[in-house]
Amino acid sequence: MPMFFDAWHFDGQSAVRRNVEIEARGHQFYLREQDKQSGPFDFADLRFLENKADTKVYGLEGRDGWRLGLRGNVPSELVPMLPAAKTYGGLIDRLGLGKASLVFAGISAAVVAVVLFSPQWLAPLVPSSVEQKLGDALVGDFGGRFCDTPQGKAALAKLTRSLDDNPQDLQVEVANIDMLNAVALPGGKVLLFQGLLSQAKSPDEVAGVLAHEIGHVRERHVMQGLLRQMGLAVVLGGFDGSGGSTLNSMLSTTYTRDSEREADERSLQALKRANISPVGTADFFNRLAAMDGSGDIKDRQARTMASYSSSHPLSDERRKLFENAVVKGAAYKPALTPDEWRELKTMCAQDKDVKSGWGFDIE
Amino acid sequence: MTEHQGKAPSAVTFHGSWTDFAKIALPNVLLTLVTLGIYRFWATTRERQYLWSHTRFIDEQLEWTGRGIELFIGFIMVFFLLGLPLVVMQLVINGLVFQGQPLLAGMIIFAMILFVFYLTGLAYFRALRYRLSRTYWRGIRGGSDDEGFTYGLSYIWKNVVAAIPLYLLYPWASMSLWNERWSKMSFGPYQFQSNADWKALMKRYLLFYLVPFLLFVGAIMIGISAAASGAGDNPFSTAGGVAAAVMIIFGVLGIYILMPLAALLYYSKFMRVAIGALRIGDLEFDFTARSPDWILYWLGNLAIWMLAYGAAFAPFSIFIAADPTQFAQQLEAGESILSFGLVIGILVAIIPIAFASSIIRYRRWKLFVVHTEAFGEVNLDRMTQSTTQSASHGEGLLDAFDVGAI
Repeated sequence: MPMFFDAWHFDGQSAVRRNVEIEARGHQFYLREQDKQSGPFDFADLRFLENKADTKVYGLEGRDGWRLGLRGNVPSELVPMLPAAKTYGGLIDRLGLGKASLVFAGISAAVVAVVLFSPQWLAPLVPSSVEQKLGDALVGDFGGRFCDTPQGKAALAKLTRSLDDNPQDLQVEVANIDMLNAVALPGGKVLLFQGLLSQAKSPDEVAGVLAHEIGHVRERHVMQGLLRQMGLAVVLGGFDGSGGSTLNSMLSTTYTRDSEREADERSLQALKRANISPVGTADFFNRLAAMDGSGDIKDRQARTMASYSSSHPLSDERRKLFENAVVKGAAYKPALTPDEWRELKTMCAQDKDVKSGWGFDIE
Repeated sequence: MTEHQGKAPSAVTFHGSWTDFAKIALPNVLLTLVTLGIYRFWATTRERQYLWSHTRFIDEQLEWTGRGIELFIGFIMVFFLLGLPLVVMQLVINGLVFQGQPLLAGMIIFAMILFVFYLTGLAYFRALRYRLSRTYWRGIRGGSDDEGFTYGLSYIWKNVVAAIPLYLLYPWASMSLWNERWSKMSFGPYQFQSNADWKALMKRYLLFYLVPFLLFVGAIMIGISAAASGAGDNPFSTAGGVAAAVMIIFGVLGIYILMPLAALLYYSKFMRVAIGALRIGDLEFDFTARSPDWILYWLGNLAIWMLAYGAAFAPFSIFIAADPTQFAQQLEAGESILSFGLVIGILVAIIPIAFASSIIRYRRWKLFVVHTEAFGEVNLDRMTQSTTQSASHGEGLLDAFDVGAI
């Protein structure tokens, strides 16, 4: 027993609009227009497209541009044959906007939490050979900028030994670059820049900074940082514009600041074990504070802004940390003998083969 | 069946309302937020469905059939095939610099810039092709049989040629690229034609080009006259001081008002010339938005952004104001400032900004539709389905570069 309904129709072949009658026969239907007829089509192939004012528009699977429009209320006999109207699409329509939002928010929070916390567990699982290769790929021999004299290297090795129980895992080098800095890299590599040595007043200073970098290596901060940064970039990559990157930089600077404090703690412990005075390191931060100006920032708001954006805790704060660790009246011994210290400090100047600078002039 | 279209009423009309649009935009923002941005591809699709279906050409609305999943897949593919390799190359370049091979590093950087430039051109082309292939009118869609690879090359060499005489040929490059792009597009059985003349743009372009020079000359003149009138001990009480102040005001005015204004005047002319030269079948187009329309549009957008940023900052400042000393102490001590409240503050701040950009897309679409006119006739019997490839379109790699397409 066929049923008839009025509708409009585009056949997807031409732009001519047709007024048709739907002739429904079971799970199939024909479209009739005066003496023309098309079909049969399966109701199951219909796809809901949109609500156009008072009209529901359907497409047909596999027929480009085929459209069927039903104006007004769809006759109740036809409703069960037609696909349901969609607002947002599958999942959200089924759950409702509110519930779906809560579900998504829960999943998102879980994903972010995994990305933030898992590097702590994942980093130690990265085989040290992989980390080693990564470090080599990144730095290699630093373009021949590592300084090398037997006496200087011996002094550096002694310093490293006094600060760490397993110095064989570490590769500590002095790079012939005039920069007041030091870095820890993947694979247990620690680079001290010549600028740091030239400006240091005592070996104790260098000891504190080196112990800090070794702290990063031992806490596996480098790998953690890499993993976390990659994870956040992937997870927050979906946001466009500044929202995602603001969140990303905030989350990751928070973590680097935490890492810096952990490395400082490590450094203090190592100095204590080696019986080296933290005063030297405090002096170093004092000089750094003079450079970054954090010592001068008296205004509370300005200090807050400066530390908000910085990846390290303020140098001035770190100076206090090391100053407070000094035990009054303790019998500290110098980190190196005057001879060793001189050899280390002048190692780059004595090394005839070493290259200097960056290979192109930045300074 | 033939439908004639005279000058009035307009053949292209818009029937949306921004309050209705907001009912789509707000849930979009919410869902985008809770999915860490992933929903934005579906959000874009829902926005376009609204805009297209409230745009009427002659007697029938347009229909947008693009799907969120297409944009999402495109994004994922670009992320893995392009984004990650670029990050890896960044590491390689760092390594090369460290290892003392700056020359090689420089060459790789140059090649990468060239490659990204090529892809940008390709992306413009593909975005336009994608949009046309997903735009239906009376069951008929558009598209292109061209893959856009040669367009990518044109994009490079035309921009390079434009840059050689100090960017003076920029109008030529952009107009010739417009013509090239549109001439490869089609709707139904008809090919678009575009032969816009770049020389019509030169007056406006020179105006834009010369604004910085005029500002500079003006500033120098004031400086000289001030210097001539003497320099005292207190710079701010003398003519020199006054001149300095005037120069600063002049500079700010120039950078923030005159430059965008001059750019807007140029853009307005560009759009009128470019759309005015577009033809398809027996249809000709015209674009009637003139400089005052663009200036109003721009000022409206500015106001919306200001409101949005104001609203975005509010929850933030409330959070910090709740306990400023504790917040400051935590920061200074290098303690973690990461707290539930702060993260929520930032997330909430995204809402007005995302909503504002949505409303601005609505305004832009409306501006274009309202000011577009079409003349000529459409023969509906001859308006048959496009034979351009369509199935592979949206899933294609570079459709994800869906940058402003027109």
